[in-house]
Amino acid sequence: MTALSVYGLQKKYPAFELNSIGFSLEAGRICGLIGANGAGKTTLLKSIVGLVSAEGECEVFGHSFRREERVVKSLIGYVGGGFRYYPQKTVRAVARAVAPFYTAWDERNFCTRLDGYGIDPGKKIAALSDGMKVKFYLALALSHGARLLILDEPTSGLDPLSREEFCAEIVRLAREEGAGVLFSTHIPSDLMRAADDIVFLSGGRMLAAGALPELLNAYAFVEFSDEAQARETGALGIHVGRNGCTGLLPRGKGAGARSRPATLEEIMVCLELEERRKEE
Amino acid sequence: MKALLKKEFRLCLHPTALIFLAFAGFVFIPSYPYEVMFFFSGLSVFFICLTARENGDASFSCALPVKKGDVARARIFMCVILQVALLALAACTTSVKQLCFSSQAQVNQAGLMANTAFLGGGAFILGLFDLIFFPLYWGAPEKVGVPFLLASIAEFMLIAVFLICRHTVPFVRDVLNTPDPNAMSIKLAVFGTGILFYVLAVWGAVRLSVKRFCRIDL
Repeated sequence: MTALSVYGLQKKYPAFELNSIGFSLEAGRICGLIGANGAGKTTLLKSIVGLVSAEGECEVFGHSFRREERVVKSLIGYVGGGFRYYPQKTVRAVARAVAPFYTAWDERNFCTRLDGYGIDPGKKIAALSDGMKVKFYLALALSHGARLLILDEPTSGLDPLSREEFCAEIVRLAREEGAGVLFSTHIPSDLMRAADDIVFLSGGRMLAAGALPELLNAYAFVEFSDEAQARETGALGIHVGRNGCTGLLPRGKGAGARSRPATLEEIMVCLELEERRKEE
Repeated sequence: MKALLKKEFRLCLHPTALIFLAFAGFVFIPSYPYEVMFFFSGLSVFFICLTARENGDASFSCALPVKKGDVARARIFMCVILQVALLALAACTTSVKQLCFSSQAQVNQAGLMANTAFLGGGAFILGLFDLIFFPLYWGAPEKVGVPFLLASIAEFMLIAVFLICRHTVPFVRDVLNTPDPNAMSIKLAVFGTGILFYVLAVWGAVRLSVKRFCRIDL
């Protein structure tokens, strides 16, 4: 079942434009939204949950955001960046304020999840570590029956162990509870741990969208003898570094050059460099 | 809307908003500009909106299953509840003063004495604050200071007009500034006009605020 469908989402600012974004996410799958700082990840996520008014259409489990805003919002668990909501209030106080909005709110479920995460409901949110804050917001979302989790840079500022725990938790939620998860990040290792699908943004445009293994299989990372050879073969994101001249080539192209499967980070960097080169 | 109002009281209500309600007791201070209590009501609205901004409330609330415009409506309704509570408390303290204090003790050298006309003036002051503050604030919820400054300037100018009139305009000095029930029908007319202005000002403030808030990106 399709958890999220985005059609032709567009948002124009004086100095930035989110340009006709379209993709879909199946329930039970995790989609990583990647891109450099300023690529439009937060704008896209905010547009999906209606915090930013954009042109285009979003559907959540078949419900149109424009026509059924409340229904769609009740199916979504959104966690904005920075976790800055009500730091001086206790976990319990925020949960009590949020619960009346949802007919499907399950207090026992919420308490069980908090207990499982080791979160004291009497604690102030400011006293929780960033990792615990993410888990608290997950508990909040899942206790009102959210079937689509939209998380804006949830791993930003987390230590490696907390990031690992977060990734393990969203994989469990997707596999065992069937939640669709869309999360933005610029940390490739998080995507390798958790993501099934990738949406890659650069300068407000969607450079790639699809299954992560397909994206990884699509490109080879190639070392060239010099820049001229790299240009001749039509390599993408050519750059000269410590290991000589390197770039990205579609798999099967550039026979004879030293190549190996590209990592996600290499694909991100090379496609981004190629985009910037085109703009120049 | 009910859930949003509950959320406003649980998360956004600043403690000073309740403390400032006690300023309805200002009417027992001899020779004091009692209208100042209505300025404190505006100050509590400012604190509430400041608290909301510091806690990222606009994004937090708009992500809940509600219409965006209802987020603005709920905040204004909470502030209206507090303002009506202040007016009701001021009506109580004014009645107590009218009933329990001598005519001599009613006289207020600093401004209008606490009577029915004074309450009507209070409704005017509150309405004017709402009409200026809320539409400006909801047009850019991250900027609380400028709307408050502009609304407070307007509020103080209106208070100043009341104080000057109390000393210089014969109708105000000799008719409105008298203990109840003297000239009661005229005072009731002033009170009624004040309440009518307040209702219309809140209605206008809600309409403009919702319209402006729905246009902005968070």
